[in-house]
Amino acid sequence: ESISKQATEIWISKIQVNKPAVLRRAEQIQARRPVKKEWQAAWLLKAVTCIDLTTLSGDDTASNIQRLCYKAKYPIREDLLKALNMHDKGITTAAVCVYPARVCDAVRALKAAGCDIPVASVATGFPAAQTHLKTRLEEIRLAVEDGATEIDVVINRTLVLTGQWKALYDEIRQFRKACGEAHLKTILATGELGSLTNVYKASMIAMMAGSDFIKTSTGKETVNATFPVAIVMLRAIRDFFWKTGNKVGFKPAGGIRSAKDSLVWLSLIKEELGDEWMKPELFRIGASTLLADIERQIYHHVTGRYAAYHDLPMS
Amino acid sequence: MAATRTASRACEIFTTLEYGPAPESHACALAWLDTQDRHLGHYVNGQWLKPEHRSSVPCQDPITGENLASCLQAQSEDVAAAVEAARASLENWSTQPGAIRAQHLTRLAKVIQKHQRLLWTLESLVTGRAVREVRDRDVPLAQQLLQYHAVQAHTQEEALAGWEPMGVIGLILSPTFPFLDMMWRICPALAVGCTVVVLVPPASPTPLLLAQLAGELGPFPGILNVISGPASLGPVLAAQPGVQKVAFCGAIEEGRALRRTLAGWVPELGLALGAESLLLLTEVADVDSAVEGIVDAAWSDRSPGGLRLLIQEAVWDETMRRLQERMGRLRCGHGLDGAVDMGARGAAARDLAQRYVSEAQSQGAQVFQAGSEPSDSPFFPPTLVSDLPPASPCTQAEVPWPLVVASPFRTAKEALAVANGTPRGGSASVWSERLGQALELAYGLQVGTVWINAHGLRDPAVPMGGCKESGSSWHGGQDGLYEYLRPSGTPAWIPYLSKTLNYDAFGLALPSTLPAGPETGPAPPYGLFVGGRFQAPGARSSRPIRDSQGSLQGYVAEGGAKDIRGAVEAAHQAAPGWMSQSPAARAALLWALAAALQRREPNLVSRLERHGVELKVAKAEVELSVKRLRAWGARVQAQGCALQVAELRGPVLRLREPLGVLAIVCPDEWPLLAFVSLLAPALAHGNTVVLVPSGACPIPALEVCQEMATLLPAGLVNVVTGDRDHLTRCLALHQDIQALWYFGSAQIRPQA
Repeated sequence: ESISKQATEIWISKIQVNKPAVLRRAEQIQARRPVKKEWQAAWLLKAVTCIDLTTLSGDDTASNIQRLCYKAKYPIREDLLKALNMHDKGITTAAVCVYPARVCDAVRALKAAGCDIPVASVATGFPAAQTHLKTRLEEIRLAVEDGATEIDVVINRTLVLTGQWKALYDEIRQFRKACGEAHLKTILATGELGSLTNVYKASMIAMMAGSDFIKTSTGKETVNATFPVAIVMLRAIRDFFWKTGNKVGFKPAGGIRSAKDSLVWLSLIKEELGDEWMKPELFRIGASTLLADIERQIYHHVTGRYAAYHDLPMS
Repeated sequence: MAATRTASRACEIFTTLEYGPAPESHACALAWLDTQDRHLGHYVNGQWLKPEHRSSVPCQDPITGENLASCLQAQSEDVAAAVEAARASLENWSTQPGAIRAQHLTRLAKVIQKHQRLLWTLESLVTGRAVREVRDRDVPLAQQLLQYHAVQAHTQEEALAGWEPMGVIGLILSPTFPFLDMMWRICPALAVGCTVVVLVPPASPTPLLLAQLAGELGPFPGILNVISGPASLGPVLAAQPGVQKVAFCGAIEEGRALRRTLAGWVPELGLALGAESLLLLTEVADVDSAVEGIVDAAWSDRSPGGLRLLIQEAVWDETMRRLQERMGRLRCGHGLDGAVDMGARGAAARDLAQRYVSEAQSQGAQVFQAGSEPSDSPFFPPTLVSDLPPASPCTQAEVPWPLVVASPFRTAKEALAVANGTPRGGSASVWSERLGQALELAYGLQVGTVWINAHGLRDPAVPMGGCKESGSSWHGGQDGLYEYLRPSGTPAWIPYLSKTLNYDAFGLALPSTLPAGPETGPAPPYGLFVGGRFQAPGARSSRPIRDSQGSLQGYVAEGGAKDIRGAVEAAHQAAPGWMSQSPAARAALLWALAAALQRREPNLVSRLERHGVELKVAKAEVELSVKRLRAWGARVQAQGCALQVAELRGPVLRLREPLGVLAIVCPDEWPLLAFVSLLAPALAHGNTVVLVPSGACPIPALEVCQEMATLLPAGLVNVVTGDRDHLTRCLALHQDIQALWYFGSAQIRPQA
């Protein structure tokens, strides 16, 4: 499964990324694939199943984690799903995503709700990763012990900015080991990597080191999930797939708030990677408020009216 | 009540995740056609012109074949009426202050903005092009063009002092070119004060709608007139009295025919021909982005033509894989669907593409198409042709829409050889992350426009044009304005009716000359000045030169086809050296020549006097010649490149390049001044020259040649004396001469 260490240098040395061209493509993609009517409703439901419903706040407690978990289980009002004939398709969000200290709360709440939605935990000194490797690794192990089955780790930006690709590879390998059976989602914090070329290289290294997902950002940087960055990461995923046959997932996070945005993200995946990537196993959206807007849009699709704030249950 | 509006297919779509239809409503386009009772005429002088007893053609939806409207076909009288309207409003429009014209153009931009949905749905409906391309690119660009040129009009009095509008402009549009190509040309023409008559192909309502929007603005109804009719009306339009320039964009063959027809007529001709483009992909490029560039160039309903694709061998496999993968995601469909990449272009375009594909296959090419269309489908899928050997007949032909013809290259040098090995020179893009390499390739490509790491970017401030067979007219930016301007006070051009000229016989026979007696006075320099020295003519015969009284002044060599060939060869040999000289070195040489002319003044004056020129006039002519040389020497420094920053992401470099080898046939009048005045700018801009001096009085020119023999590099200037018509014919037969400037008895078609 592991790729020879010599490959690290070879696979990333020849890469060329032309920023203006990528920016143009990013502009185009937003206007070229409108999705309307029933297609919109179906795509929005697909987006719901790809959401990592997230809360990452200093004031998180057991009670709001519990609310979040129930919303994850019942993301769209039952009658709306019935109207679309989708009520028996098990529509839930893909996961809930919390801080390590809240993993126990989430696991307990989901168990009480009677569902097997995975709990994802951020780790490794989230969001800055400026702590010692030893404690970062320990964080992963503790979260896994508490019952998290997906670990969102942040990479050490210092290693990227100083060009220590080999060291980055080694660190992520250690994260991978620490995760054990849990899925490893590697956050690249692209807003702090400095260039699109670095984004490509970091993506490739993260995949070579065994990440199951690569993720754009923590949501805590000043610049989060943007389309140009996503295009570069998706192209890296495709290159990796063509080289190794392994499909790695993609997770944009931070700043995705509207239903329309989520449709653009889905069409971006469809255009750059193809239909097989449009499922929760290979695509996630990290978001906290997006779900509310999607529910509103589905309400509108079904009823023809716009929902008031109190018409839809809060999370 | 949570009423269900849908018998839901959501469940099925949830699994397949396919795209659904996203149609733009074209109700307003149909409503507009209804206002004309589905019967379109011409728009002339602010009114609809619907003359009786004209044939009409149907305007059809290219996808469904549904009849949308019928369009009247113009006849000569209609063309005359349109030109008359343009002439009548010229006086008023051209004398308005620039600020007023600016205001009018701005108002038109605003009107377009207000009715843009009508514009884009109508254009997409009748042309079949993808609506998003029209909506997101063409319509905004049309507005920007109007705004940019409004600014140009506003500052015209200061910025373009000494220039005046040419007059009535005739614009001929070919069927494959979208309405935007009309905007690129009418905006500068209107801005500088010209009025326009546009001849659009049958069944193209969008230009008519634009004319209506402009006409309804009020005070200047006759400045933009649009008539629709067959291309055969082109010469009729050009022949109307008052038409000063004809701009044509269309196919290369049509353009060439038009040039032949119009030779010697009043209107100047501006040609923008062909639609093929070129993309050069090196091994140090961002291949994924380059693939998007290919999609932009060929499969996004942007360009009317196809694409030649050159790929460096090291990235050939990788590029082909990515390209084919990308092609699988392109969507063909009804143009009015917002999620479609490519619409349909009608049966003619489809058949043309199909013919090319079949021919390429028969010549051994590999053809890749993502998905297949049934033969009766209106669509033609994106098509990639490869393995077409350079020598196969297909490679020589222009690549049609929507084809991409890919071929490999090994080195940058080879890439340039392959890329330049075509008579076309429109536009190209170079993809390389190495700045040095990208610039080297861009400089080396013989095309009008080169983009680096992008394809098809347009901005109103950036001039676009072509070279070689793609025509030599420019549009956009300052250069676009000069297409419709002439220096103030230019005398009216007296047409030579070329109908009486027999091209087949012109200058064919070489008159035989006999000895005419002994020379009196000092003998003039004898021989043809070729390759830096005087040589004996190939025919080994001479022609007598008489002065104004008819007495013999001397003999000059009788040049012929062989001598012209030698001269052109010498000029080609000298060209690379002269081209690469620094502007300062070129200026120094011109000034040295000016000094030499000054030293020789008494000699030249006496030669002119013997030819019957008054002493005072002769002195003035020599003085003026010296001045001209100095002036052009000074201007060399000013020529070069200009850096502009436009709205595009990145700078724009505008280069002025020498044409190469020029042929100049001087007029009989002002034997010295004309010779120098034509020679100086050609040299200043880095060209090498083959020149035929005044037939009646070639001796002053030969005197100058004696000076040039010591001053200039060999072959830079070559002077061949002899029968002018015969020599002109010989020159015109050299296709490697980039331009032929002819002043004399008959206008002959230059080789472009």
